[in-house]
Amino acid sequence: MAVLTPYREAVEAVEEAGGEALKLCYQCGLCTGICPWNTVRSFLVRRMLHESQLGLVDFEAEDTWLCATCRACVDRCPREVPIIDVMRALRRTIVGLGVGYVPDSLRITMKNISALGNPLGEAREARAAWAEGLDVKPFASGTEFLYFPCCVQAYDPRGQKIARAMVGILKKAGMDFGILGAEQSCCGESVRKAGNESLCESLAQGNIHLFAENGVTKIITTSPHCYHTFKNEYPELGGNFEVIHYTQYLAGLIREGRLKFTKEINKRVTYHDPCYLGRHNGIYDEPRLILESIPGLELVEMPNSGQNSLCCGGGGGRIWMETKKGERFSDLRVDQAIEVGASVLATACPYCIANFDDSVLTSDKGEIIEVKDVAELVEQAI
Amino acid sequence: MARIGVFICHCGTNIAGTVNIPEVVEAAKKMPQVVYAEDNRFTCSEPGQASIREAIKEYQLNRVVIGACSPRMHESTFRRTLAEAGLNPYLLEMGNIREHCSWAHTDKGAATEKAIDLLKMAVARVAWHEPLFPRQTGLTKRALVIGGGIAGIQASLDIADAGYEVVLVEREPSIGGRMAQLDKTFPTLDCSACILTPRMTQVGQHPNIKLLSYSELDEVSGYVGNFKVKIRRKARYIDETKCTGCGECATVCPVEVESEFNEGLGKRKAAYIPFPQAVPNKYVIDKRGYPPCRVACPAGVNAQGYVALISQGKFKEALEVVRRTMPFPAVCGRVCNHPCELDCERGTVDEPIAIRALKRFIADYELKAGREKPTPPSRTKEEKVAIIGSGPAGLACAYDLVREGYPVTVFEALPQPGGLLRYGIPEYRLPQEVLDDEIKYIQEMGVEIRTNSPVKDLGQIFNQGYGAIFLGTGAPTSQKMGIPGEDAPGVRHALDFLRRVNAGEKVTVGDRVAVIGGGNAAIDASRVALRLGAKEVFIVYRRSRAEMPAQKTEIEEAEREGVKINLLAAPTKVLTRDGKLTGIECIRMELGEPDASGRRRPIPVKGSEFTMDVDNVIIAVGQALDKEALPKDLAYTAWGTLQVEQTTLQTNIDGVFAGGDAVSGPAGVIEAIAAGKEAAISIDRYLRGLDLAEGRPQALKKVEKVSKEGVETKPRKSMPLLDVGKRGGSLAEVELGFDEKTAIEEANRCLSCAVCSDCRECEKVCEAEAIYHERGEELIEEEVGAIIVASGVKPLDHTLFPEYGGGKYADVIGALQLERMMSAAGPTGGEVLRPSNGAHPKTVVFISCVGSRDERTGKDYCSRVCCMYMAKHAILLKEHDPETQSYIFYTDLRGPGGKMFEQFMWRAERKAGAIYLRGRISDVYQKDGRLMVSGEDQERNEPVEIAADLVVLATGLMPSDGAAELARTLNISYDVKNFMLEAHPKLRPVETNTDGIFLAGAAVAPFDIPECVAQGGGAAAKVLSLFGHDTITTEPTTAMVDALRCIGCLLCTQVCPFSAIDPELTRDGRTIAAINETLCKGCGLCVAACRPGAVNLRGFSDQQLLAEVKSLWQ
Repeated sequence: MAVLTPYREAVEAVEEAGGEALKLCYQCGLCTGICPWNTVRSFLVRRMLHESQLGLVDFEAEDTWLCATCRACVDRCPREVPIIDVMRALRRTIVGLGVGYVPDSLRITMKNISALGNPLGEAREARAAWAEGLDVKPFASGTEFLYFPCCVQAYDPRGQKIARAMVGILKKAGMDFGILGAEQSCCGESVRKAGNESLCESLAQGNIHLFAENGVTKIITTSPHCYHTFKNEYPELGGNFEVIHYTQYLAGLIREGRLKFTKEINKRVTYHDPCYLGRHNGIYDEPRLILESIPGLELVEMPNSGQNSLCCGGGGGRIWMETKKGERFSDLRVDQAIEVGASVLATACPYCIANFDDSVLTSDKGEIIEVKDVAELVEQAI
Repeated sequence: MARIGVFICHCGTNIAGTVNIPEVVEAAKKMPQVVYAEDNRFTCSEPGQASIREAIKEYQLNRVVIGACSPRMHESTFRRTLAEAGLNPYLLEMGNIREHCSWAHTDKGAATEKAIDLLKMAVARVAWHEPLFPRQTGLTKRALVIGGGIAGIQASLDIADAGYEVVLVEREPSIGGRMAQLDKTFPTLDCSACILTPRMTQVGQHPNIKLLSYSELDEVSGYVGNFKVKIRRKARYIDETKCTGCGECATVCPVEVESEFNEGLGKRKAAYIPFPQAVPNKYVIDKRGYPPCRVACPAGVNAQGYVALISQGKFKEALEVVRRTMPFPAVCGRVCNHPCELDCERGTVDEPIAIRALKRFIADYELKAGREKPTPPSRTKEEKVAIIGSGPAGLACAYDLVREGYPVTVFEALPQPGGLLRYGIPEYRLPQEVLDDEIKYIQEMGVEIRTNSPVKDLGQIFNQGYGAIFLGTGAPTSQKMGIPGEDAPGVRHALDFLRRVNAGEKVTVGDRVAVIGGGNAAIDASRVALRLGAKEVFIVYRRSRAEMPAQKTEIEEAEREGVKINLLAAPTKVLTRDGKLTGIECIRMELGEPDASGRRRPIPVKGSEFTMDVDNVIIAVGQALDKEALPKDLAYTAWGTLQVEQTTLQTNIDGVFAGGDAVSGPAGVIEAIAAGKEAAISIDRYLRGLDLAEGRPQALKKVEKVSKEGVETKPRKSMPLLDVGKRGGSLAEVELGFDEKTAIEEANRCLSCAVCSDCRECEKVCEAEAIYHERGEELIEEEVGAIIVASGVKPLDHTLFPEYGGGKYADVIGALQLERMMSAAGPTGGEVLRPSNGAHPKTVVFISCVGSRDERTGKDYCSRVCCMYMAKHAILLKEHDPETQSYIFYTDLRGPGGKMFEQFMWRAERKAGAIYLRGRISDVYQKDGRLMVSGEDQERNEPVEIAADLVVLATGLMPSDGAAELARTLNISYDVKNFMLEAHPKLRPVETNTDGIFLAGAAVAPFDIPECVAQGGGAAAKVLSLFGHDTITTEPTTAMVDALRCIGCLLCTQVCPFSAIDPELTRDGRTIAAINETLCKGCGLCVAACRPGAVNLRGFSDQQLLAEVKSLWQ
C-alpha cells in the first residue's frame, strides 16, 4: 500500500496558480452531482478537488481537461468555492511546469493563437475578409462602437454568416460602429482556461494597446466569451472599456421602440442560454425579449433553461478538443430542443452554434431542427 | 503628598523572560513621589499580596502601582489587597507590562524600556487618584423569562421553586416550544410530549409563576436588579380569566386555516389552542383585521362571515350575519354591483368568490323554508324619526334606527314601498314578492311605513313631534337628451317605462325599439322591451363597450337575448313622419381624451350621420332629482343633488339628513344602504346631543397579508340561468340561484382572509361569556430584577429549496413535518403518509445540511441536531412500517459527540437498516410519480440516483423570528446570524454583556434538549445567585458634572446611550446637566461631548489622564 504523503510542491504550485480557494472545499460532492459530465460519463469533481488539496492529482489523466467551465457547480457550491479557478489552476500548473498530458488538438490551437492571433491557423491579414463587400468602415477615432466578432466568426464560413448578419442589423439600427482588422487578436478567453496564462496575458495586452491606440471606448461583441473577457478580465490588466453583448444592445433598442420587425417568422423556437452569457454574466432576459418581439415566433423553453441551462460542452477550451461521440452534451441539448417541439434552436454564442451544428449533422437531424444565432433570426425579421 | 509604592511582578518567566526586572525596579525607585519599589515572582499569589500589605504599613504608602498583567485579569484581586491593608481600593493603578511588553516583544532592551515608560505613566496617574466608594442599590427579586420552550420552562421552574416570582412571557398561545412539536426524542426515544407536558402543567399551576402567553416583550428600561418591562399582551379576544378551555368556540367556528403547530399539515380553527395539552388551556381567536370583501362593501356587510357559515351549512346563522348590518339580503343578493367580489383575494388565485350569489342563496333558503317573525327590538328611545322615501337608503336608515330603539315612520309618496327597487328594477331581476318579504321583515322589526304620503313641508313633520328627518327620495326622473323630436309620441323615458311595467300597467312596444344609453337602466329597458314583444331592440351608446356603466353580466345576458348594441353612436334627431315616430338619426363618435369621470370623451365624427328605422325610442341617459316634489329651502350642489355635509350627511336644515341617489346621483343599491346607515348614526348622535363628526368616517383596517400558499385553483361556480328560449314574453327571473350543494362548495373556496370571520357563533355557545370580539391588545408593566432570554430557534422553511423539490413537490417535506406525522396526536394520527396520495412511503430519502453549512444561505454553521434526528427518524420509520427503507445522504456525520449518540446511530444503521451515503444531493426531480434524488456516492466514487416515495429535508435551524429585534430591545449583543451572544463563549455561556440579563437554550446556538435544559438551569442559578443578595454593588466610576463650569447646552443628554443625564435647575436658575448615578455606566461619551470640560469621569478624570500622558516627556 502506498503511503499517503501530500505532495506539498504540487499543492503550492496549484495554489500559486490561483487555486488557493480549494482549501474551502469540504468535500460534500454537490459539484459532482451537478456537473453535466455525469450525464454522459463519470467525472468526479469533488475527488479532483480533494486530490488537489493533497497534491495528488494525476497530471497524466484526461480528467484535468474535461471541465467546460460552465459554472453550474460554482453557482450551487455551499462553500462558494470558485471551482473553475481551481480547474484553471490545475491546467496552468501542467502547462507552466511542462509536465503531464495536454491534448494534442489544444496544443496546436495554442500554437496557432500564439503565432497568428487566431485558433484556426488562418492568416492574420485575412481577419477582416469576412466583411468584404459589406461596406463596413474601419474603426477610427470618434467612432462610437468597435464591433468585435470572435475568431470563429471572422474566419469560419458558418461563423462569418453571423458576423455579416450582425453588420446588417447594426447598420439598420443606425449604430455608429467600425471594425479593426488584422492587428487584433483572439480575446484570449479559452487560452486562459487552457492554462496558458502568459499567452492570454500577451494577447490581452496586445488588444488593449490596440484598442487604446485607436481610441476605442465602447465594444460590442457577438461572442459571450469575448464579452466575458473584455468585461471581467481585461480590467485586471488595465483595459477598461464599456462592453456590451449584442443581445443587450438589441433588447435596449426594442424596449425603446427603436427596432421594429417587419417580417414574420412563423416558427417554434427554443433558446439555449450560453454559459458565458447566462451563468457567468447573468444575461437571460435580453435574448428572450428579442425573440419574443419577432412577429409570429413562438418561444418555448427546454427543461434546462436559464440558470439551469445545459452546457453545449464548448467552454473552457473544450471547443478545441475532441469529445467522444456519446459524450457530447450538445447531442443531449439538441434532443431536448426537439422534444419541446422546436424547429429552431437559437442561441447567441459561436461555440454553441458550432457544437449544435455538429450534433445536428452527425445525428442527421437537419430535417427536424435548424441551429440559428439570435442575430440571424433578427436579420431575417427586420 | 502622595507616597507611592511600586510592585513589579515576574509572572514566573512570563514577564521576567523578556523584561529586565531589576532595571525596572531601579528606575521605579527614581520616579517622583515613589517611596518604595520591589519585585515579586508571583504578585497575585498570597505571599505576593502579603508583601504589598506589609509594605503599605511599613512605608505608610497611600498609593499603589502594580506592574503586572492586564487589569482585566487581576485589578479586582489587588483592589481587595489594598482594602485589606486599610487603603481605599481605588488608589491602585496597574501597568500592564505582560501583555503590552513581554508578550508583544522579543527585544529585551526595548521591552524593558517600554515597561519603565508604562510604570512612569501609572505612577504619574496614581498620584491623582482619589478614594472612591461603590454604591449599594436594592433589587427586585423577581425574574422575567422570555420564551416558554423547554429552556424557559426549566429556568422558570428552578427560580420559582427557589421561592422567587417569575413572569414567563410566551409569544404563542401555549408554552412548550419546539419540543412540544416532537414525537420522540433522541437517543432514548422518550415520547417528547410525555416528558414535557408534566413540566408545562407545573408551570401553569405554579403559584410563583405568572404565565403570560400570546404576549411579547415591548420595551425594557432600568438596570440590573431594577428592570421595568412593558409586555404587549396580544389581543386574544377571549378573556383568559373566564375561559374554561371547553373548546365549544372552536367546535362552532366555521373558519379553518393551516395549523402552524402541525407545520401546515393539518387544519385548525380561527378559535383555537395549538394542541390538546396546551398550557394555558385557554383559547385564542386569530383575528387579523377586516377581510377585503368587507372593507370594499360601502355598507361594511361582513361577507367573509356569512360565506364561512354557508361553508358549514349554517344558512340561518349566515343570514343573521347579513341582517346584523342591513335588511336586504335577497335584494342585494340579486342586484348589488358587488364591489366585494372585485376586491376578493381569491381573484388573485383564480376567480373571486361568488359572494352575491351566496347571499342570495341564504335569503332564498329562508324564503323557501319560511321564516319566523322576528322579535322587534325594544323601544328604548322617545324621539320619533321620520324617513322620507322608502327606497333602500330610507329603509336601511329606518332599520338601523329602529334597532337603536327609536320609533321610526317612513313616508312614501307612491302606493307601494321600495322606491327604485320597486319601480326601477324589472321583475326578471328582482321579483316583487322577494322585495315584499324583505320590506315585510323591516315592518315586522317595528318600522312603520305610510304609503301614498308625499311630504312637501318639513316643518309640518317637525310639528308632528318628529325629532329628526332623513331624506331618501332618490333620483326618480329621467334626464332629457335635448335633441329635436325628443317629445314625439313613441319616445319614452326608461324609468317611466319600467315603473309602468312594474306597476302592472299594460304597456306595448313597437317591433323595433332603440334604447339610448349604456347604464343598467338602458339594459333593463331593452330586455323588458324584448319581453313585451319587440322584435328587435338596439342599444345606442356613445362610447365603447369598456365604458358602459352597466354590469358586465347584464350586458352579456342582454346580448344573448338578442339585444344589439350599437357602440360609438349618439342620436342627433328623432325622426317623425305624419306625427308618427319613424326612426332616429345618429352620428358616429370617436374617443378623445379622458374627461372628469376618467372615461374617454366621445367626439362626433363629422359627416358620419346615419339613420335607424325604429318604432319606439327609450331614453336612458341619466336620472335626476324631482325637485318639484322635494320640500322647499333645501340647498343643492352644482350638479343638482342635495347638498350635505360629507361625513355626517346633514343638510343645510338642522335635524334634516339626506342620503342615497338624492345626494350621490344615480348609484348602486349598496351605496344607498351605506348612506342610510351613516345617516342613522348621525341621527342617533343628533338626538342624543352628541358631536356628529367625531371619529368618522371610521375606516376598517384591512388585513395586511393573506396566505395563498398551497391553494389549489378551483373555478368559481357559475349562476344557473333560465334558458334564453324561455325568457321571451315572460318576466320570470333569469338567474335561478344556487342549490345547497353548489353554495357550500362555492363558500369553501373562500380564503378566510381575516382568519376569524367575525360571525360571532362562538359568542352564542360560550357559556362562560368569555368572548370579547372588540377587545384589543393590552400593554402591561412588570418590575423585575433579572431577565432570561430563551427565545429559541425555528427550522428553515423547506420550501425555500426548490432545487430539492421543496415547495415544488408535495412529497418533499421538512423534518418537522415528518415529526408531526409520526406523532400520535398529529394530523395523520401517527401515520407517515405521502402528502400527494396518502400512501405509506416505502423508500424515504433524507437530505442533510439543507440550508445549513451553506455560504449561500448565510448559514455557514452546523445545525447540530439533524444527524441525530435523521437517525431517530430512520429507526421510527422502520418501527412504523418494517418495509420502509431509509437512505440518509450526509455531508459529514456530526452526531456522535453526545452521550449514547454513537450507539444510537449504530442502531439506525445496523438495526433499522438505514443506508448512509456520503454526498450532498445535487437535485431532486420527479419521474413516473417518484422523486429522483441524485448526487454523488463518495464511498463508491460514482454518481448515484435513488427513486424515493418521500424526501425529507433536514433543514437547518435559525433563530426565531424577531430575535434581532428582541436583542435590540434588551440592548444585548447578537451575531450576524441573529443568535444571542454570550459574555464569554467558554466561561460565561449563559450571561450576556449586560448585567442581569441571561441566556438559555437555542437562542444562543442550535442545542439539543438536554443542553437546553442544562442551560435553563444554569441561567436560573445565575439569577438565584443575584437574588441571594439584598443589594447590588455598583461601580463608583461614574460621570460627574462641575456645576460651575456646565453651560447647560445638554449635548451630553443626547449622546448618553443609557439616558442617564437629565437637565436640572440650579438654585440661581441656571439649567445644568445632572447625572443619574444609578443609570450611568461610566462609558465616558458625555466627557468627550462636553465642550466646556465640565463633565468628568470618576477614576478617569482629565487630570489623571493628562498626568499619564505628560509623564512621557517629563
